[in-house]
Order: sequence, then C-alpha cells, then structure tokens
Amino acid sequence: MNNTDNILIMENIHKSFGDLEVLKGIDLTVKRGEVVAVIGPSGGGKSTLLRCATTLENIDSGKIVIAGDTLCDMQGGKIKYATKDQLRHIRSRFGLVFQNFNLFPHFSVRRNITESLIHVLGKSKDEADQICDDLLAKMDIKDKADSYPCNLSGGQQQRVSIARALAADPDIIFFDEPTSALDPELTKGVLEVIKSIAAEHMTMVIVTHEMMFARDVADRIVFMDGGVIVEEGPAFELVSNPKQQRTKEFLAGY
Amino acid sequence: MTKEDLLTSILQILQGLEYTSGIFFFTLILSLPLGLAVARGKMSKNKIVSAIFGVYISILRGTPLMLQLLIVYYGPYYLFGISTGGIKIGPFNFRFIAAIIGFTLNYAAYFAEIFRGGIQSMPKGQYEAAQVLGFSKSQTYFKIILPQVIKRVLPSVGNEVITLVKDTSLAQVLSVSEMFFMASSLASKQVSIVPFLVVGVFYYFMNAVIALLMSKIENSMAYYS
Ligand SMILES: Nc1ncnc2c1ncn2[C@@H]1O[C@H](COP(=O)(O)OP(=O)(O)OP(=O)(O)O)[C@@H](O)[C@H]1O
Ligand SMILES: [Mg+2]
Repeated sequence: MNNTDNILIMENIHKSFGDLEVLKGIDLTVKRGEVVAVIGPSGGGKSTLLRCATTLENIDSGKIVIAGDTLCDMQGGKIKYATKDQLRHIRSRFGLVFQNFNLFPHFSVRRNITESLIHVLGKSKDEADQICDDLLAKMDIKDKADSYPCNLSGGQQQRVSIARALAADPDIIFFDEPTSALDPELTKGVLEVIKSIAAEHMTMVIVTHEMMFARDVADRIVFMDGGVIVEEGPAFELVSNPKQQRTKEFLAGY
Repeated sequence: MTKEDLLTSILQILQGLEYTSGIFFFTLILSLPLGLAVARGKMSKNKIVSAIFGVYISILRGTPLMLQLLIVYYGPYYLFGISTGGIKIGPFNFRFIAAIIGFTLNYAAYFAEIFRGGIQSMPKGQYEAAQVLGFSKSQTYFKIILPQVIKRVLPSVGNEVITLVKDTSLAQVLSVSEMFFMASSLASKQVSIVPFLVVGVFYYFMNAVIALLMSKIENSMAYYS
C-alpha cells in the first residue's frame, strides 16, 4: 500500500447471512487521526460492518486494508483472506470495544489488559504493567487494577475494556455502541474518556446512538440504512443540515 | 454380635479400601480428560465425528454400568477368544484393569455431557474478545474458556464424583476385592448385618470428605462471578 495515511480502507463490501444481504457494497475510508461516527436505524448493518473490519465476520466480496496491511481482497473473482500470521499482525493494529464489554471475568483488571501484551505481543511483564498503569490512570480507575470485573460498575468495566483495546497501541479503534449497555448516569464518564482519546488524535470508528456525542466528537458522520451508506459528511453539517430524506427522518427521532 | 465381629469387619473392609480408592482415583484421573476429549468430539463440526461420539455417549449412559463392566471383562474372551487370565499390569490383575476401563468409559460419557453443557454456555463474546486481541485458538481455549468452564461445571462434576464413590461397589461383579465385596462375603460368613453397616459408614465418610473438598474448591473460585 502506498497510502498508509488511510488507516482503514473498505471497498465495495458485500456481506450476506444466508439469503439476507446485510451489506450491499459499502465504501468507507478513514484517514489517520480521523474520528468517524456511524449512525443509523437498527438492523442497518452497522455492527456487521464493524465485525467485518475486525475479522469477526468474513465478507463475501470486497477489499479491506488496515494500517497498510491487506486483510482481504478479491483474487480471481473470489475473496481471499490474509494468512494466519498476517492476521495475527493485523489484529494487533486495531482495537475493538464491545457494547457489552466482554471482559474476561476470571482475570483481574490488570490481567485483562496485560495478558495479550505478554502472551501475544511478547512484551515483558514489567513493560505490560507499566502500560496498564498508565492506561488505568488515563481512564481514571487507577485503584482498580487488582479488582475483578464483577466488582466494577458498568461504566468502569467499559473503561477497562477501552484500556484493553488501547493497550497494544493500535492504529485504529472501533467502538460498537460503547454506552448502550450503560445506565444513563454512567454514560457520560465513558463518553468523556472517548473524547479524551479523540483529543489525542487516535483514529476511531464509533457506532453510536448518542447523536450529540457524535456531532461533537466526530469529524465525519456516516449514516447507514438498509446495508448502504445513505449519506455522509462533516459531523456538524450532517446533523444540522441532512440532505437525504431518510437521514432527515432518522434524525428527527432525536 | 460380638466386639470381635465388629473389629474383624472393620479390618477386613479396610483391606478392601485399597481397591475401592484405586478404582476411584484411576477412574477420576482417566475419565476427566477423556470426558473433555469426548465432549470436543461431540461438538465437532464434522457431522460423522459428532455422530460417532453422540452414539458413544448415548450407549454408555443408556445401559447399566454393571453390564458394561461385565462386557469389558468377559468380552475379550467370548467375542474374540482372547484369554485374559494372565494379563497383568504391575500389581493389577485383569479384573481390576477391566473395572478401571469400564468405569472410565462410563464416567467419561457423563463428564462429556457436563463439559459440553459448560462449554456451550460460554458467551460468544468471550471468544470474540480473545480473537480480536490476537490470542491463538489454543490460548483462547486454555486461558479464557477452560478456566471459566471448570468453575461452571464444578457442582455437577462434584455430584458425579460422589456417585462414583458409591458406584465402585459395582466392581464386586468382577470379584474385585473392594470394600463392598469384602463386606458381602463377611456378612454371609458371620451371618450378620454388621459388615454392611460398617461398609456404609466407610462410604459415607469418604463422601463427606469429598463434599468438603468440593466446597473448598468451589470457594476458591468464588472470587469472580
Ligand atoms: N450472525 C448473523 N446471522 C444472521 N443474521 C444476522 C447476523 N448478524 C446480523 N444479522 C442481521 O443483519 C442485519 C444487520 O444487523 P446489524 O447487527 O449489523 O445491525 P445494526 O445496524 O448494528 O443494528 P443495531 O442498531 O440494532 O445494533 C439484521 O437484520 C440482523 O438480523
Ligand atoms: Mg449493532
């Protein structure tokens, strides 16, 4: 790849579950340091798009490049994925934050964050601990390193999972509705944390229903419905002055 | 009943304790890993492999353990003409070996179903989080999945272990000199119920110890939920 300034390139992505075509030719490019929010009605394919970008689903056709490494591309009319070793490398280049955290309940907060640093990336225990302590301080949960996830509030758990996603110093982080599983009073703290990461120019793709948050934190907003990108544009403009009828109707609900 | 009768009972039955605990420990050590392997076989994506393990589980759980012990013991001779009388592994004769094989095959089937339930109850998100973090398949299995599965299945495994203690008495059909075998022969010799009462107390105490151990282990894993 000549242009590594594009951290994420998704070209003409098609994905079906059985007879149901969920992604119908999506094109999405994210530049280094850019924050893109993905919004849209339920069932529009937002999560599926994120899952395809993060190797949790395989696409049927199209091309995905992450931080200069090709995850998959068409070869002789068929989709071809990277080898196991390449996949391992690509997976260290992105982080994913799940709606319901998916922390490892049998690991302490510290181990949740350091386990892959040590056993996947081969870092020393000391180095991993240092990274963990720095991240927990940044997430404002410095004193929780030895706690177990079940003893944390939802907001704290999500902050741990953000720290876990950041630990490998990835080129891009994906969020799938990071606050949807949280009580309203816990949402704010997590959104603040994401904002602070954005301020450090981390490249991010955030699927969210928090429209004001998307408007404030994202550079660009993508509106997805029915498996296609209906409209995209600068965040403030898209929210305040949508062009497409479907976008208008969707935004009117907020 | 005399005091001597009681004392002989205790001493004789104590001699059987060796075989009883032998069956118990060998069966546990062999059937737990075999059960895990059978569970994986049953969950195989290959339909034929899965079906084969399904039949194995269904037959072993659907027929009496006593019958299975008899088949393991007599099968080699009656089915294949193999003379088993001279078979020995270390100090163990074929009666004992056959008992271990029969118990292991049977308990592996029960453990397999318990493990399968435990593995299938694991949320998909645990696998996905591990995959995205770059853990290999075997790292995911041994670091993330198995430890949580063990906690989940511990109560059911505990029940089976307690049943196993009592089931060792079935080895008497192969004339293995375990506690129950000793008690029965003593009872007919003494024309007394005392040996049966004594052996009952023995089983009860073994299981009391096991129940205590199991709750200790469960408590040691109670630090997370
Ligand atoms: N594994 C799957 N198997 C079959 N269908 C699926 C699967 N995953 C998603 N779908 C379907 O694909 C469509 C898009 O789902 P997706 O979860 O991507 O939507 P979404 O935009 O994230 O919605 P929401 O806002 O509710 O999270 C839905 O119709 C869903 O039922
Ligand atoms: Mg979704």
